[in-house]
Amino acid sequence: MHEFLHDPIDVIVSFCQNRVIPKRIRWNERNYEIANVNLVHTAREGKKRILYFSVSDKTNFFKLKLDPEYLEWHLVELYSNG
Amino acid sequence: MHIDMNSYFASVEQQANPFLRGKPIGITGKHKEHSIIATASIEARRKGVKTAMSTYEAKRVCPSIILYPCDPKKYSYITHQFNKIFRAYADCAEQFSIDESFLEITKAATDYFGAVCLAQTIRQRIKEECGEYITCSIGIAQNKLMAKLCSEQVKPNGLTVVQPKNVLSFLDSCQLKDVCGIGHRTEERLNAIGIYTFEQLRKFPLENLTREFKSYGYWLNEASYGRDNSPVVDTIEDPKSIGHSCTLTENTEDEKEMKRCLLELSDRVAWRLRKKGFVARCVRVCIRYFDFTEFVQQRKFIEPTNNGLTLFQTAWQIGNKWRDKAKPVRLLGITASNLTKGKGYQSLFKKERKIRSLQNSLDNLQNRYGSKVWSRASLLYPPNTPSATCS
Ligand SMILES: [Mg+2]
Repeated sequence: MHEFLHDPIDVIVSFCQNRVIPKRIRWNERNYEIANVNLVHTAREGKKRILYFSVSDKTNFFKLKLDPEYLEWHLVELYSNG
Repeated sequence: MHIDMNSYFASVEQQANPFLRGKPIGITGKHKEHSIIATASIEARRKGVKTAMSTYEAKRVCPSIILYPCDPKKYSYITHQFNKIFRAYADCAEQFSIDESFLEITKAATDYFGAVCLAQTIRQRIKEECGEYITCSIGIAQNKLMAKLCSEQVKPNGLTVVQPKNVLSFLDSCQLKDVCGIGHRTEERLNAIGIYTFEQLRKFPLENLTREFKSYGYWLNEASYGRDNSPVVDTIEDPKSIGHSCTLTENTEDEKEMKRCLLELSDRVAWRLRKKGFVARCVRVCIRYFDFTEFVQQRKFIEPTNNGLTLFQTAWQIGNKWRDKAKPVRLLGITASNLTKGKGYQSLFKKERKIRSLQNSLDNLQNRYGSKVWSRASLLYPPNTPSATCS
């Protein structure tokens, strides 16, 4: 199942060697432990540079969006296996 | 060197989303239904899914296919990343499409062994920085035409090297339409005159070939020998303007002398525009008088140009109209600006098209033999008035 959404989420991250690494997200009152950060990319939104994290746990793929100016996180894509 | 990403969009999605790995997937337009397959993953290709197939057709040949909408921003970001890697190793790199680049590595690699090492290093960097699912096929040869043909031989993760001594036998093992520049229709027309292989194409009299294909016949003949002298044009270098100026040997009031100098400068600017793949929308002329006062005037073109004569005519028109004719001239300069990528407009007039195709041939000569290889007749006299210091 593949969904596109725009849900605000809370994220626990670690900062490591100039990188942001999402460790856990809280969405719909549930915690998801991030197992892998598979791809990070940026994109311009007007003059802003937005960061996208393609991450996964054991059964879900999440695409997270970070607005570095406001430090807002959103869950923008969800893909569940099976 | 030519580097081609394998099943590019699909590989990027498989890198991002591990639940797509090892599965047949098809990247579609924004909406998955009633769309076409932009890229099929390697697994989907094995089951018969092809690029540009309708999603309906793709589901028919491969019922288990996962249709996945495209994410262009993600792909162009990764494209930017690997081109950055290419530029770190190559003399220069030309992004040919979103998933293909040509690399000039003559200096960086020094020989074919060096080129192979370079290829492996680049592959390793892509794996580390973009992800292990984003793979590429690499071709190494003496020119762009052959390098591209090489990279297409082995997919995914291929590395194919063809040294100059093996070019002909390699070509003879390929089909005509394998070469970039020979399409389906050209192949049919070649078949119609009895040409099915590169060997036959080589042996076919050039005269007859050009009668059938016009100037494209020359290209076909060159291609049959694996020859191609088109340069790798660095796509990152985006100058805002290209200009030349020239200080005359003596201050002059002689119109002929000024015209001569300006035409020569225009041709040099136009050549650099063409070499870098630009067209200019604006030309600026600068005249410095004997007393170091200057006159600058510019004009916009309706159609962007990379033609030396057009640059000259406009520059001379505005320059000669506005300059102070009482003052001897010391320096002339011309600058093309408002540059965009392009080839200049395709004229409707036969004569202009002819000039254009002549220009292409002259450019090829100049590419191979340098700027002294041709000159306009009007620049040949008087013989002993060299323009003193040009920049
Ligand atoms: Mg490709």
